[in-house]
Amino acid sequence: MKIGVCIKQVPDTEARLRPSASGQWIDEEEIPFAINEGDEYAIEEAISIAEQTGGEVVVVTVGPERAREALRKALAVGAHRAVHLADEAYAGGDCWATARALAAVANRESFDLILTGSQSADVGFGTTGTLLASMLGWPHAWLVVGLEVADGSAKVTREMEAGKNELLQIGLPAVVEVQAGINKPRYASLKGIMQAKRKEVAELSPADLELDPSQVGAAGSRLEFLSVSVPPKGEGAQILEGDTAEVATQLVDKLRTEARVL
Amino acid sequence: MDFKADLRDLRFQLFDWLPMDELLATGGFGDWDRESLGMTLDEAYKIAQERLGPGNEEGDRTEAQLADGQVTLPESSHDGYRTVAEGGWIGCANSPEYSGLGMPHTVGTAATDLFAGANLSVTLVFLLTRGVGEIIERHGTDELRALFCERLYTGHWSGTMCLTEPHAGSDVGASTARAEPLGNGRYQVSGEKIFITFGEHDLTDNIVHAVLARLPDAPSGTRGLSLFVIPKVRVQADGSLGEPNDVRCASIEHKLGIHGSPTCSILFGSEGGCEGYLLGEPHGGMRVMFEMMNSARIEVGIQGTAVAAAAHQAALAYARERVQSRRWSDGRDADPVAIVEHPDVRRMLFTSDAFVQAMRALALKTSYCLDRSHVEEGEAAERYAAYVDILTPICKAWCSDWGFRVTEWCLQVYGGYGYSKDYPAEQYLRDIKITSIYEGTNGIQALDLVGRKLRRQADAVRQLLGEAAGTARGLASDPTLGPSARKLGQALEVLGRVLTETPGKDDGPLRLVLNAVPILDMLGHVLGGHHLLEQARIAGDRVREIVAAKGLEDGDADAYRELLQSDADAAFLHNKVQAAVHFAHRVLPQVEALAAPIEAGETAAIDAVL
Ligand SMILES: Cc1cc2nc3c(=O)[nH]c(=O)nc-3n(C[C@H](O)[C@H](O)[C@H](O)COP(=O)(O)OP(=O)(O)OC[C@H]3O[C@@H](n4cnc5c(N)ncnc54)[C@H](O)[C@@H]3O)c2cc1C
Repeated sequence: MKIGVCIKQVPDTEARLRPSASGQWIDEEEIPFAINEGDEYAIEEAISIAEQTGGEVVVVTVGPERAREALRKALAVGAHRAVHLADEAYAGGDCWATARALAAVANRESFDLILTGSQSADVGFGTTGTLLASMLGWPHAWLVVGLEVADGSAKVTREMEAGKNELLQIGLPAVVEVQAGINKPRYASLKGIMQAKRKEVAELSPADLELDPSQVGAAGSRLEFLSVSVPPKGEGAQILEGDTAEVATQLVDKLRTEARVL
Repeated sequence: MDFKADLRDLRFQLFDWLPMDELLATGGFGDWDRESLGMTLDEAYKIAQERLGPGNEEGDRTEAQLADGQVTLPESSHDGYRTVAEGGWIGCANSPEYSGLGMPHTVGTAATDLFAGANLSVTLVFLLTRGVGEIIERHGTDELRALFCERLYTGHWSGTMCLTEPHAGSDVGASTARAEPLGNGRYQVSGEKIFITFGEHDLTDNIVHAVLARLPDAPSGTRGLSLFVIPKVRVQADGSLGEPNDVRCASIEHKLGIHGSPTCSILFGSEGGCEGYLLGEPHGGMRVMFEMMNSARIEVGIQGTAVAAAAHQAALAYARERVQSRRWSDGRDADPVAIVEHPDVRRMLFTSDAFVQAMRALALKTSYCLDRSHVEEGEAAERYAAYVDILTPICKAWCSDWGFRVTEWCLQVYGGYGYSKDYPAEQYLRDIKITSIYEGTNGIQALDLVGRKLRRQADAVRQLLGEAAGTARGLASDPTLGPSARKLGQALEVLGRVLTETPGKDDGPLRLVLNAVPILDMLGHVLGGHHLLEQARIAGDRVREIVAAKGLEDGDADAYRELLQSDADAAFLHNKVQAAVHFAHRVLPQVEALAAPIEAGETAAIDAVL
């Protein structure tokens, strides 16, 4: 079984974000990046399926040079090899253009299963996996909280409203977009970190994927980011600063002393 | 409160200050390179935050429990232990032949900085386990190595060190535990050891004790001690577990801190059935045990650093959010501000920070020298070994003593809340205290330094202080660091005078033993000031590069302040420079004050009636 995992490197959730000079995106200088949280669950799911079925896990990302670190981390926890779409031509793509590039990789690799997270922590559209499935003509499931693979099909548990789940059976190949919490991602062992260095990371250009540069990146996108801004401070609104623990403490303090509801 | 560490400083010290490339270029560390070592730090931090930190308070409140000779620990301790063992961290710097990972000790020490900061109690078992594996690997027969090393490095079994007895504390030579040959190459051991860290627990199926005991007709004192490997459960030829050995936990201590670490009295052979293996030569036990103690002493230095660092991070976070009183320079009706704005609170926080950075530098540098002493050859190897010899007691005692004070200042930052169990400050203060006591009290460390090492390693001391003098000279005319460098120069001069002149005085030996701890402190302060200034020089250059890259005018104070607000890295580097200035002006002048009574020959404590 050959499993592809599509991952994205996003700004670390603790990073302080500021709009960039152009105002169309955030200033990426000096902020830490990490693997999108949902994707960590996809990686773990793929590795544990491969451990049970003896398969291979290939992690794929579309992203600049820095994204190689995300691939290395995935390799360190146990993925077998990586594909990096780092060419300038891929830059600035929306989910449509990104899905197109990923679909080309899927065709080239003949994956039996593709796992992704359900949405990215930066733009949060939650559509890349779905678009990828439709471009490939494969079935797909979103917000997956349970997955069992056997004999060419997958039993998929999806999260519904009001705490209910739905159980589906879908044929493979398929795209499964997992929900955070589906498993417990493992830590990279020191051995894994050492071995990651020797694993293959293939850089593929649009030409390698038989794509025209106009089909990917900004050129192949249907969506344009006009501007990114910090929401204006409303009248009477207070924005709490600090990390999660600090903010939570401040909030409790305010609920107690100012709002007096606790 | 979640455990937090200054990973940026750890990275800076490891990769921007210490010549890590030189170390890796020796070829002694397999495939490890900057990138993969950097990744290990990220992973260690994650484990520290997610798996060790959460159990720290529970371990403190629940305490290890003893019932029917069995000690049990809370599930959170098990979880932390398992995660660290499975990740390969226990044997991270050990030989791959026995499933160790072969990375530099320096980076292993950095990982310990994270683990011990998150949960000192659980981290102790890693150090003991690794330590016993190392001495068996170096001194054991093939049989012993095959039975124990891999199982220890991978954390399947854990280790202990058993020196202390009721009448043999600092004076290990007073030990009375006995051993008799059984004729089958093994020995029957009997005696009571007390204060044994992780002497009994339920984290692993077996516990491997390294025990000092005396063979029949052995000379008295430390020269008559032999070292024995005694498993709690006997081990069969194929490594599987056999019958229980006659090893019993009689009681556990109820103590000030590290409640999550069981401190046990262990009875060996109370029923005449305790079998062990001799490790090394008969009567040569102390030499082998010293190897384990020396690595352990470096680790205790990093424990002091780690807990102080954690206390500082927590106090800083608290000070940023606790609002109390208006700013001193504001008018009567001004709004109250976060206490981090008050100069006295800033002083406590920043002195803590500067000490933590200096302690971290000393501990990492000591480990770095240890690595070099292993991978270099000939004269270079000897030189680095001599540095380790001299730095080890300073690292152990200076980092643990000043670490304790840091936790006190950090508790003070909280006011009344620091005294309450609602915040972690009081636990840090209780936990860290042990680091100045075990592995040889700091008093004993200081005597080892002035009584033995300063004499035996006089050349190495001269070289280390010579490096510091080089830094002081090199920065003397630096516009920012010049005044600080001159403070270092002055401290060096005083220290040099005390070290060369005191031994020759009529009452020189008394002055040295009476002032061993102050002398150790003087050395620690000088090395700390030296290391911080070296780091500040690198950081200052970087800040200037950033300023130039951003096209800021030199001397445009507003633009610079804005840069520090918006660029976390620039702020970090700026603070490194401030830390060196702070330390140089507030700590280095203490060297002269410490010297005053020594040079005056003041001996009131001896002359007093106590
Ligand atoms: C929590 C904890 C865990 C421990 N873990 C272990 C362990 O795992 N294994 C183990 O073997 N031991 C362990 N110990 C024991 C520890 O190493 C000893 O407590 C320590 O070495 C001091 O010995 P002592 O307590 O007998 O004090 P003493 O030796 O009685 O010392 C009391 C005081 O006298 C001073 N003193 C003693 N001799 C001299 C001298 N010659 N000159 C100047 N001052 C002197 C000491 O510095 C100290 O201030 C542990 C202790 C504790 C509390």
